Amino acid sequence: MDREKRKYDYLLILLSIAILLGAWIIFSQMNPKVFPTPLAAWERLVKLVERPVMKISIWGHIGISLQRVLIALAVATVLGVAFGLVTGWCPRIKAAFNPLFVALRPIPPIAWIPLIILWFGIGEFPKVLLVFIGAFFPIAQNTMAGVEMVDDMYLKVGKIYKANTWNMLRHIVFPASMPAIMAGIKISLSSGWMVVVAAEMLASKSGLGFLIIRGQESFDIALVLVGMVLIGLIGAAFSIVFTFIERWICPWMTK
Amino acid sequence: MENKDIKVQVKNLTKSFGDLLVLDDISFEIKKGEFVCIVGPTGCGKSTFLNLLTRLIPATKGEILLDGEPADPQKHSISFVFQEPSAFDWLTVQQNIEYGLKIKKRPPEEIKAQTDKIIQLLGLEEWREVYPKDLSVSMEQRVVIGRAFAVNPDLLLMDEPYGQMDIKMRYYLEDEVIRLWKATGSTVLFITHNLEEAVYLAERVLILSNKPAKLKAQIQVDLPRPRNVSDPKFIEIRKEITDMIKWW
Amino acid sequence: MDDQVTNIALHLENISKSFYGRKQVFEAVNHITLDVRENEFLVLLGPGRCGKTVLLNMIGGLEVPTVGTVDFPGGKNEGVGFVFQKTAVFPWKTVMENVELPLQMAGVPKKERREKARYLINLVGLAGFEDALPKQLSGGMKQRVGIARAYCSNPKILLMDEPFGALDAQTRYQMEEEVLRIWEKEKRTVIFVTNNIEEAVYLGDRIVLLSECPARIKEIYPVDLARPRDYVDPEFLKLRETIEQNTDLAL
Repeated sequence: MDREKRKYDYLLILLSIAILLGAWIIFSQMNPKVFPTPLAAWERLVKLVERPVMKISIWGHIGISLQRVLIALAVATVLGVAFGLVTGWCPRIKAAFNPLFVALRPIPPIAWIPLIILWFGIGEFPKVLLVFIGAFFPIAQNTMAGVEMVDDMYLKVGKIYKANTWNMLRHIVFPASMPAIMAGIKISLSSGWMVVVAAEMLASKSGLGFLIIRGQESFDIALVLVGMVLIGLIGAAFSIVFTFIERWICPWMTK
Repeated sequence: MENKDIKVQVKNLTKSFGDLLVLDDISFEIKKGEFVCIVGPTGCGKSTFLNLLTRLIPATKGEILLDGEPADPQKHSISFVFQEPSAFDWLTVQQNIEYGLKIKKRPPEEIKAQTDKIIQLLGLEEWREVYPKDLSVSMEQRVVIGRAFAVNPDLLLMDEPYGQMDIKMRYYLEDEVIRLWKATGSTVLFITHNLEEAVYLAERVLILSNKPAKLKAQIQVDLPRPRNVSDPKFIEIRKEITDMIKWW
Repeated sequence: MDDQVTNIALHLENISKSFYGRKQVFEAVNHITLDVRENEFLVLLGPGRCGKTVLLNMIGGLEVPTVGTVDFPGGKNEGVGFVFQKTAVFPWKTVMENVELPLQMAGVPKKERREKARYLINLVGLAGFEDALPKQLSGGMKQRVGIARAYCSNPKILLMDEPFGALDAQTRYQMEEEVLRIWEKEKRTVIFVTNNIEEAVYLGDRIVLLSECPARIKEIYPVDLARPRDYVDPEFLKLRETIEQNTDLAL
């Protein structure tokens, strides 16, 4: 029964992709100039592989976007988890930092772009910094909430066996918060990906966001679509890969 | 044995998951208004059996008939009481008990009469307007049981409803469920791990074997009520059942 | 049973505990004075949810009494072992890592603590499951992990807080037998909290019956039945009934 069910699920996935493609084909017939067909987009992609844009191959553009996201995400994970653990664990530290945190969190990362360009120019660092801003808050927020919600009984076990603060955090609080932390990283992954594209669109000579803007400027709409599709595919790949990583790091979480 | 109508017929019920046989050719009948307990060793497939009855999963073979028709929760009125109390948080005690009757669009007079009767049987008059959050777990479970009995279901399924209660509370609730059962004439199928509870409640106990579960035996319990757990006859029946399923 | 003078492992002197809410004071434990003998199996029996766990937490040092003192005349060097309700086994640690935790916290070298943990895992009947995660275990097996972990700190006193409350009636019988078997082999002072009278009579050397909220000592019953006890032995049932009639109904 289960196998049949899974087969059914795959069919549904194929069906939804088919519907999306179908809609694309139908709507693109209306005015292929402003909405190229899937075939045109495919041909543009093939050309893109052969002919670099701004002396950077398509792989280079993908690679630079990935690099920006992953570096920022790694830094945001380390700092966000550390910040969340400390603030979640110690109410006093939370009392000191939380107002700042709450006030900064709602500012969309994109709103920082003018200031950051002004301060740091348009090199690599400001882009990574922007993505970091987008990724840090969800991770920190989720970690903090996760720490605060650790089951009291787990803490009692630590207390009974006289765990010191370091052991308490390492052996009990951190793993117990892992599901929340993972959920936070997942959110950061998608918001980070969003921010990198926005940053590249505004101030960059490379990356997938740049390709889209380049397409717009030269009325190469197929290129815009290629950029969009690639962003979507890579985002989807991110979340699949992340699910595997999650299963590998936290085997106790999956049933 | 009195000749009551047959309410529930289970015929050759079989369930396997892939190669794993869980229920093996189970057949029995329950008469209208009868109180039947099902017991079996831990992990024998009691919950699979319940899921088949509630149609959550399909049977591999065999069928379950209610009044001669295939049992269907959409068509028949089947009530459930599970181990975790599930009163609706947003309804008062009275509204909880009325709930099923309202869903079934019974006339207002009937709803009122039936609700009053159940509330009185449960001794919950003072609690009518209280919300579940202000009730203890046992109190909440009693409301759920009242709600289940109120609709006069064709079949009332109870799955370990008193699993977490202390003994004194359990005795109290067991006497109460017998009272409700007698007053409403419902047909009750009560699933439990607790053999003493089964012997205390049931007119008839169905005993399942270890996985794959077969119907191992049926024991008629003809002791007068209220029953006494220290009564030698009671102990004899309890021992007989224990010996049949003991695995620990 | 034997002639030697029994030592007192734990002495509770006039313990009370109140919790102060915003508007009202909630009194959980009221004037409890009690001596627990060394290596005895003492059951704290009480209805509902009241007081028992609070009392146990105070003995374990997790909470401080509002009034009164908790004394360990024989010393408390090794601390206490605590068996919680089922969820207290860490899902992210293997059976081995769960059991060795108390020694790990105490800074015992890995080799030494693994040896001790392995002995205890065997003792509770989980040999072969050292590397299993709790999600792969049944409820009864998880509680075995909890028992092994509690023994691992080598405590003089073991506190058990309704450890079998979430198990079904049959698994419960099995675990009751198990906990006695383990205790016979590794004698400790056990304080076992339950709301189940049958369980209390099956396990206890003495049963301390507590009242409904706030918990006071209603009566102390010595249980003079030989082990292994029979759940349907007339004497067993008689004691059960006596206690039951003296128990408050917590509606």
